[in-house]
This record gives sequence, C-alpha cells and structure tokens, in this order.
Amino acid sequence: MTAAAFLPWLIVAMVVVAAVQIARRVILWRSGRPARVDWLAGLKALPRRYLVDVHHVVDRDRSASRMHVPTAGGLVLACALLVVGLVPAIAASRLYFGLVALAFLVMTAGVVLEVRRRYPRPLPRLSLGQWQKLPIPLGVFALGGFVTAFLASLGDPLPAVSILTLLLTTAAGLGLAGMAGHGPMRHALAGAAHLAAHPRPERFGGGRSTELRPIDLDAPGTGKLGAETPADFAWNRLLAFDACVQCGRCEAACPAFAAGQPLSPKHLIVDLAAAAGGGYAQPYAGNAYPNARPVGGAAGLHAPIVSPEGLVHPDTLWSCTTCRACVEECPMMIEHVDAIVDLRRFQTLERGAVPLKAEEPLANFRGADEPNGRALAERTDFAADLRLKVMKDGATAEILLWLGGAAFDLRGQRTLRALILALNAAGVEFAVLGEEERDCGDLARRLGDEATFQRLAKANVATLSQYRFSRILTADPHALHVLRNEYPAFGGSFDVVHHTAFLAEMVAAGRLAPAALTGKAVTYHDPCYLGRYNGEIEAPRALIDALGLERREMARSGRRSMCCGGGGGAPVTDIPGDTRIPDIRMGQASDTGARIVAVACPQCTAMLEGVTGERPEVRDVAELLWEAVQAGGRNEAAAVKAGEPA
Amino acid sequence: MRTLVLLSDARHPVSGRPHLSRLETQAIGLAASLDPAARGLHAGSGEDAVRAGLGHGLAGLDVIETTGEADPLPALVGFLADALGGADAPELILAGRRGEGGFETGLVPYLVAERLGLPIVADAVAIRAGEMPGTLVVDQAMAKGARRRVTVRLPAVVTVHPLSPLPRPFAYGPMRRGRIRRHSPAAEQADLPAVAKMAGHGTVAGRAEDTGGTTVGPVDVVPADERPHRARPKLMRTSGTAAGGANLHVGPDPTEAARLILDYLEANGIRRYGKAPE
Amino acid sequence: MSRQRRDPRAERGIRTVESRARPRLDVARRESPAASGRLRRDPWREWAASLVDETYRKRYDRSQRQMSREDAARFLAARSDIEATAISPGQPALHVVEEPAFLIFAVIEATGGRLSRFDRQVFGAARLLADADAGGGAVVAITTGEIDGLGEAGADRMLALPSANGGQARAAALRHAVETLLPRHVIFAEDGDSADLARRLSVALGDDLMSGVEHLTARQAVRPIRNGAREIGLAPPRLMTIGEDRVKPYAAAPCEARPIDASDFEAGADPAILSSEIIPGDPASLALSETDFVVSAGNGVSDIAAFRELAAAMKGTPGASRVVCDAGLMPRSAQVGASGTVLAADCYFALGISGAPQHLQGIAGCEHVIAVNTDLHAAMIERAGLAIVQDAQLVMPALLALLRERGA
Repeated sequence: MTAAAFLPWLIVAMVVVAAVQIARRVILWRSGRPARVDWLAGLKALPRRYLVDVHHVVDRDRSASRMHVPTAGGLVLACALLVVGLVPAIAASRLYFGLVALAFLVMTAGVVLEVRRRYPRPLPRLSLGQWQKLPIPLGVFALGGFVTAFLASLGDPLPAVSILTLLLTTAAGLGLAGMAGHGPMRHALAGAAHLAAHPRPERFGGGRSTELRPIDLDAPGTGKLGAETPADFAWNRLLAFDACVQCGRCEAACPAFAAGQPLSPKHLIVDLAAAAGGGYAQPYAGNAYPNARPVGGAAGLHAPIVSPEGLVHPDTLWSCTTCRACVEECPMMIEHVDAIVDLRRFQTLERGAVPLKAEEPLANFRGADEPNGRALAERTDFAADLRLKVMKDGATAEILLWLGGAAFDLRGQRTLRALILALNAAGVEFAVLGEEERDCGDLARRLGDEATFQRLAKANVATLSQYRFSRILTADPHALHVLRNEYPAFGGSFDVVHHTAFLAEMVAAGRLAPAALTGKAVTYHDPCYLGRYNGEIEAPRALIDALGLERREMARSGRRSMCCGGGGGAPVTDIPGDTRIPDIRMGQASDTGARIVAVACPQCTAMLEGVTGERPEVRDVAELLWEAVQAGGRNEAAAVKAGEPA
Repeated sequence: MRTLVLLSDARHPVSGRPHLSRLETQAIGLAASLDPAARGLHAGSGEDAVRAGLGHGLAGLDVIETTGEADPLPALVGFLADALGGADAPELILAGRRGEGGFETGLVPYLVAERLGLPIVADAVAIRAGEMPGTLVVDQAMAKGARRRVTVRLPAVVTVHPLSPLPRPFAYGPMRRGRIRRHSPAAEQADLPAVAKMAGHGTVAGRAEDTGGTTVGPVDVVPADERPHRARPKLMRTSGTAAGGANLHVGPDPTEAARLILDYLEANGIRRYGKAPE
Repeated sequence: MSRQRRDPRAERGIRTVESRARPRLDVARRESPAASGRLRRDPWREWAASLVDETYRKRYDRSQRQMSREDAARFLAARSDIEATAISPGQPALHVVEEPAFLIFAVIEATGGRLSRFDRQVFGAARLLADADAGGGAVVAITTGEIDGLGEAGADRMLALPSANGGQARAAALRHAVETLLPRHVIFAEDGDSADLARRLSVALGDDLMSGVEHLTARQAVRPIRNGAREIGLAPPRLMTIGEDRVKPYAAAPCEARPIDASDFEAGADPAILSSEIIPGDPASLALSETDFVVSAGNGVSDIAAFRELAAAMKGTPGASRVVCDAGLMPRSAQVGASGTVLAADCYFALGISGAPQHLQGIAGCEHVIAVNTDLHAAMIERAGLAIVQDAQLVMPALLALLRERGA
C-alpha cells in the first residue's frame, strides 16, 4: 500500500474536521431571525452564481482571479478526485494518481500566484495575520499532495519521501480544515452557503436589487425594531458576514474610509461576524477604522453591537453614505448597506440615538413631512412665474413632475427651472403635485427612521394613486430610487424616469434641438442612486455627447463611481474625518482637466458646490441642455434672419 | 421622585398638525432624568399630539378625555387631587412655561398650583432632589446666563425654561409600547378643599385652557375676536441707544482705540456683565 | 377748498442761520411746513448727513440716522400737538404729570440696576397707554431698588417695592400695591421673573392676563394664540405682558420718576421656598446662543492665545468666524453666523472680521456691535455702532493693557 492511498482518507478526515468546525457556526447562524430562503432554487443556481456572478466581480482584480481560479479549482478538483479514490479499484490506478497530481499541481501554481500578491509586501487593502499565513498551509498541502500523488503515479519509487510528504500534507490539510470555523477557510463553506441562501437572489444573473426592505412596525408583542445584537439579524445575514474573505475591495472603494471617517466596510463585516461568535478568535489584522473611536469590545450573540462598550462605535455606523460602492465591489456578494441600515434602525427607532444634527430633520419629518421644516405649500413658490399645472386642480398630464426637496433650495431651483423650461420647450404636457407632494422619505429611511418613511410612503402612494399619469419624472435620483424601487412594497408601482433619461429621449426624438456647446471639457459625476442603484449610466452621457461637449471620464465612473458624500444622511450625521468626501471627489474631477463637472442630482450639486477654492464649475445636465437649447433657438433665429434677404 | 408632566395639545407651526410642544419635550427630558417611571398628563379630546411623549422618555400617559370645547383645568385639578391623595402621589408636577395650541396664557400651571395648594417655581433649567428628603433644588434661568438656585418643599409645580437640556431624542419603539390610560373627567371636584377655597374663581378657570388645544373658554374672548394671525415685524435691534454720527474712527492709535472701546462698553453698560447682581 | 398761502417772511425766518454776527440764509433748508402742513423729507440732506468719510470712495453710514438735538428740537416745534413746551437746545424739558388721571404700572426687572432694552419697551407700552386720547395718565415704575434713567425711559412715578424672597411674596406685595393704588393697567415683560410675577398676580387677583402681546395701541391689544395660527384682539385689559421687541421704547421728553412712598407695601416670605441663591453666569463656558456679550475673532486675528486672554479679561464669550473655525483655531461650537450660532447677545465685539453676509445674519439681533478691522469698507465696519479702522492684532494688546490698568 502506497502512502498516496491514504490521501482519500485524509480528505475524509478533513471533511469531518471541517464539518465539526462549521457546525459550530451553523448553530450560531440558526440563532438569527428566520428568513425565507428558496433552497432548491438557490442550490440549483449556485454553480452559475459562483462561476459567473462572483467570478465577474473577482475578475475586476485580475491578479485575484488568476490566483483564485487555479487555487480553488485545483483544491476542489483534487479533493473530488481523491474522494472517488475511496473505491479501491480506482486507487490502484497509476493514471488516477497522475490526474490527482495534476490537480495538486494546478493548485500549487495558484498558491504561487497568491504568494506573489502577499510577499514581499501585500496590497494595502488585504488583511494580514492568518490571511497572510494562509499560503503556507495551502502551499504545503498542494505541494505535498502533488509530490505524494506524483510518486504514486510513478509506482512509489521513494517510499520514505512519500511518507514524509504524506505526513506534511496531512498536517497542512487538517490545519486548513481546522480553519473552516474561525479561520480564513471559513469563506469557502460559508461563501457557498451564502450564495445559495442569498437574501437578494434577484441580484444574480444580471438582475438588480437595491431597495431596502421594509420591516413590520406593528409586529405584535414587544419585539424590537432593527438589529441590536447579532441574534437580531436574519440567519442568512449572519451567514453572509462569515463569508467575508477580507479582500478589502469594499474598503478601497469606501468614500468614508478615504475621507478618514471611522468606517471600513471590511472591518465592520468582520466585526459583525466576530460579534456573533462572542469576540475575535484571532486579532483582526486589517486596516483599523480611520481615526478609530475607542470601544469596549464586549461581544456576544445577545450583546449590543453598536455602543461605545461594544465592538462598533456609533460614529462608524453613521459615517456610511449608503453609496453601495462596497456592495458593488464585494466578491462575496455581502450586503453591507442592509446591515448598516438594520443597525441604524435599532438605534433610531428603539433608542433615538441619532447624531445630534440628525435629530432636527427627523423631527421636521414627523411634524411637517419635510426634512427642513418647510411648508409643503411653498414647494412651487420658486416657479410661480412658470405657471405649473397642479394635479389637484384637475390637471391631467402625461408626465407627473416630482419636484423633491430641491424645490426648497436656491441651487436646486436653478436646475428645476432649467428642466421645466426645457419641458415647456419640448411641448411636454406635465403637472406637479403642489402642496400634496410630501418628501419621499429617503433621508428618514437611510437614517433608520423606518416609521417615518413608511408613513410618508403610504401617504405619497395614496396621493399618487388618485391621479392619472403615465410616468413620474424627477430630477432627484434619491426620489427616483424610492419611488421606483421602494414604493412597490407599499402598493405603489410607478413608471419613474430620471430627467437625464427623459431629456435624452426628447433630444433623440427631435423635440429638443440643442446647439453644440463648444469649448469646455466636461466630466460627468455619476450619482450613486442613479448609476449604482439603478444602473442608469448611459443616458446622461448620451445627453452630454449630444451637446457636443468633450466628455472626459474620471478614474471612477459609471457603476463604480465614487460618492459625493451626500447620501445616507451623511451630511446631517456629519461625522468628522481627516478630509471631506466631496473634496476628494472634486479632486478626481479636477484631475481630468475638465472645466465643468456635470451632475444629475441635487445632493451631488450641493456637496460638490460646497468645495472651496479653485475647482471646475458644477452644472446639472439639465442646465447644460437648456443652455444648448437656448443657443439653438438663437442660432435658428439668426439663421432665419440671415436667410431673409435671400 | 414620582414625576408627572402636564402636556398640551400643541400644533406644529408649519404644518398645523398636532405635535408635542418642544418645551414639554424638554420637561419630559428633565422628568425622565429624575424618574424613569415619569408619566404624562393631558386633558383634551385626543392624544395625537402628546403620544410622542412616550417616545421621548415617558413611561406612561394619562389622558383625561374631555370634550373639545371644555376647559381642561377642572379635569386636571380633579385628576391631580385624586392622585395626590392616592398611594403613588406625584411629588413633582412639571409643565412648559406655557402650553401650546390653545390660548397660551401660561396660567394653567399657576392655577393648578394654587388650587392644589402647591408652590410653583418657574423657568427651571435643571432639577435635582434636595439634600433634605422631600425637597427639590431647582435652577432657574435668569438673564445673562445667571441661575437662581431655589430649594423648594415638595410636592411642587415647576415650569421649564427653553434653555433646559436638550430632550431625549424621539424613538418610535418605546412610543409604540407605551401604555396610555384613559380617564373620564372626575365628577367629584366639588369635594376638594383646595378647589372649595377657590370658589368664585370661575372667570380665571375659564381662561385656563392651555392644556387643551381646541378649547375656547375665556369669558371676554368671544369667537368674533379670534381671527387669522397676521405676522408683524419685530422692532429692529440695530439702532439702539448708540450715539449717531461720529462713531467711525479711522486709524486711531491702538491705545486710543482701546480706550474708545472700553468707554463705549461702559457707556452701554456691557462691562458689568458677569458680575453677580448686588 | 382755499389754497394755503405762503408766508415768505416766515420761510425766510426759518432759513436764517444765526451762526455769526451776520445772519446767513440757508436756502437748502426746508423745515417750513409744506403747503399741506405735513413735514417733508429731504433725502439729499439725509445722505449728506450720513456721509462719514470723504476719501477716494465715499462711505455713507445710513444706520445712524438719529437727528441731531437741534434738528429734533425743530422737529418737535413743528409738531405742536406733541409738545407745548419750547425745547431749548441741550436741555430737554421735563414731562410732568402733577395730578394723574389714572395710573399705569410698568413692572420692570432692571437686572444689575440697569434698564434693559425690554424694560424700556415695557415703559414704551405704559407710556402709550398713559398718553392715549386725553392723556393725563402717569406711569409708575415698579422696581425692586434704585435704578438710573427711569425718568428718561418714561416713568412719572417710581414705586420701589421691598425685595422679597420668592415670587409668591413679590406677587403679594404687588397685589397689595394694585389694590391700594388701583392702576388702570399693569404691564409686564413676557420674560423671566416678570412673566412669572404677572401670572401669580393674575391668579391672586382672579383677573385676566393678556400674555405675550404682539401689537398694542390704546384701543387694542393683539396676541397670537393656537401656536401662532390665530390671534385675538381686545381692548387692552388690566393685566398684560408684552412680547420682546414688539412695542417701541419711549423716546420723547424725560419724565420725573418721582418716588412714591413704599413703606405700606410689606413683603413677606414664601414658606415653600427654603433657600434661594444666585449663581452668576460664567461667560467663558456659556453657550453662544445664551450669552450677552460675544468677543469674536476673524481672519484678522492671528494670535489666538492673546484673543482668548482678551475675551476672558473682557468677560465675554469667545466666538469666531467660519474661517477661523475651519482652520481649527477655534472649536466649531464657537462659530458665529448662519451656519454656526445665531446670536441673541446685546453686544458683539468683532476683531478682524470683515462681515460676510452669512456672518452678519448671525449677529442680526445684536444691539451693539463694535468692529475693529483694517478695511474701511468692510461690511462689519458699516454694521458697527463703534467702528475702528485699525489692525486687531495691535488693538488686542492695547486693550489688555488698558483693562489691567483700569482693573487695578
């Protein structure tokens, strides 16, 4: 009997050890709240989710995919082959061991690539500690397995060496299996289970699922709202936290982290996973929260997570802009924003522990349905001269224009005026809700005030359902997202269109004839709630191109664009950092050399215009278009005039 | 210290919807810091406005359901007299310096205090139990940041000043769980000695509708006198008593400038600031 | 209707300037009552009067539009309905009410022995009611001690009630005074102890209180109700509190503020009040929104340590402009302006602040503004009641030295 004949039994032993390890986590997951999971569909879709959706994200970092495909592929293949080897007839075949050796060789190649990512100096976003040491057991296992199997395929010419390598392989293999509960190898099992039981299965296969899920506010009994302890998360959320590979892509994309605010999505997810298990088994070896606030570190399945005594400081929670850059980048498909909002919901709904400056908008929402406490009847005041049609007065219109909070803001009013004038020029029949338009509730929901959001949502849905229109047009991506994606849960399904898409339609249909604006290079800043949340990145660019402007792209654009810092209530929570997010983003815009930053969101406009010093001009796409249309009108008039004598 | 907060039926200044008065929210904050089981008391036709008090730290709410136009004072006095005679008698009754939503005279706490024979202290910014049992130390807000520290015998009525600490922020969950006890107006007020002493005070009672927003009561206020509010500009503060004309000095010697500044301050009495009033 | 006739002789008389031995005729002067009998404004002369400094760029100060004493005298002379007594320049006549037809009580606080702006407004309201219609009423200042300037503020009489321990005792003494002297109105400020006293008196007398009056004439007092959605207007009742900055202070001829014997009005002690002490405010730790005097630093102040020392020495609360806070030299909580704290202070001392619009919004409520700035044309200089065009860095040490000298 050759040493290699023990390899299949090693795999069996590894499976047993791993099963024991992961069972401890399974018990933890089961203590989470129940969640409806379609296991059958999830398991059926698992290979596709893993090989296509996950790979697609992993592949954005080529060195990662080049490393992971052979390592994981070789490991899985070798293990699978070796399990087959439990059949004695097969184990006798030298060709079989040749195949096993090949699989181990592939894995070895992958490990070599991984070593090159981490040594001599690892990428700054990667975690160290056990993750840094992982290539050692992996390499020993792969190389040992290869040598053992390879010698077996040659007829075991060097039995002493075979036994030595088998022992090494066994040690490394059992070590890896032992990491399945707390160590890095947890990601393999938890990750696979997470993909099958993902809370947002709609995300896979090219779909999109970005809306926050409502919670039952009138749940009977004294059940708490939101998540206070790990046990308050749904079980498949706890599973998701365990799937984290600490690759740090979320951290690299996080605007709050970049601005030195005390948030790292990676650290937060690892904290949440550790909190469920009662604390860190090994010390966290990634980047700390920037300017980390001291915390007590108390953890447990039923211990509060967010508190100065717990694992996560409240400032970490309130630094998030809900831009979803982390979710977009996560190869394990973890939903960071959902977790943050769940935690915020508890803080806001049960403890009222919102940052000081966020109390006022929430109080205004409760009192006046508007975050700045403005009278709803004043919403159309800025356009008193434009004679907007109001639905309540019996207007019927093709398009319902949702003005949003920008109507109360001087800067936002300029954009809205340009949009309204352009609509008039295109002969669009539209009307507004006037004083019946309440705030959409975006800010309240992102700050965790689900009660206020649901009240506003129900009221707005009731108002909107009274009227007949075919589409809702809005210049605010936050309102767009809420109306389009979040109101359906409250019985209001509307066809919502963003003004950039609508104006692009108008230009394409020839109803607006913009002249070419020349001279200035433009860079377009994608609003998170339009680009990432709704995948609309083409229309605004098409519109800018139609204006004949030179368009330059920032390093981060489209679905991977960087946040302006204006979402998720970040401007009102106002967590101090080293610098401000809009300053960073404006720096990126300046780097393109563009003289104009085109924006498509009132929040982005406000944040980017707040940047002081020498900077490109901030213009909404609607303003640029209206300028071009006016220029077009003048050109036409001039052409007519020039043509007259002839 | 068993504490009770009087709550009025305020209206939001922008939307006109029922909402909890800001000052009463601060009173609730003070109450909750003294008594985790502090309760709110409201007499009126609905609890829409005051329910939010449960979300700001009240453990419970007592609502005396009076009809829309009724004067809440008898209901409040009746309820409080019962409570003061009961086992868990409130020791401290807090209120805003004036209720909102009604005629807003600010008389209710004074009338309640007088009818129940309790002392009243106004404009509290901080409250704590006194060293002697049965006493209360109240810091009253005074002009220019000064405070008057008053020790008063309990039970007492205390009204709260806008400079008192920020209230605990609103939380929906506790409001949802909070218990509201509804009562019908006490019919046996006539038995109360304190009220009996005040017989003949019907005209004052009629004016004391702060705690019930929809009440119309005062004898001299006929509905015809009530009309939509007209915003009137306040006086400008800029002119003041400054002597006009020659108060611009271009490029004076720094010592001369300093003298001018101090003289100006002394002429306007500003440098007395910070000294304890004699 | 017959046409009014011009009187060239009278016009000539008015335009005569008796400055030297030889009379001079000032043709630009137009104080003669116009044909309509109404006084006319002369915008040109108003501008000329507000010209502060004729450098290469003219600078007008339109905030200080008070008439000179002579102008005021002429103005009053033209309005014979107000003042019968001739006003000699420099010595305004005393307004004397020998036998009052009725009394108006004006209850004032005068913290620290000085009349506040609000106190003067209470007098304004009392004066308005005393002089209404036939007039003849006398304003009685209800005080707790000797106070300067009661006459100028509009008090005909002065009743110093003995200082009492606790509001209840004070109310008892006041009630006694009211029941003895039977004033037609008692007017309070809707603020602090006055508001408290008004309510105690109302309850003790069993009388109505009209609180927080926003608009007052002899015929009508108006106050908001129902969270400002509605208002009620009544004939002014006996007891009233007036809102802050709602009634103009009295500004005509001073009154005599003759003391009334107060020995009848005993003040007891409130048995429920066991002790009472006053803790003075510490300006350094006061919130900006509460303080009365802010010493504020702007871009023109580079030595923040000296600035802090100065603020402490002047017993002012330190504040700063946005630039200084952005630079991290002062905490964000010290920022004055629309995005920082909007002040309610009486006095604002701006060192090296040019006065951005947002900053000026924050000090809109300040009565006295002192500005030290190097730029004559800075908005803050224009806003200030005392404006000094000088380097703040030089003025600060001089001020500190002078404060030490005067303190010694």
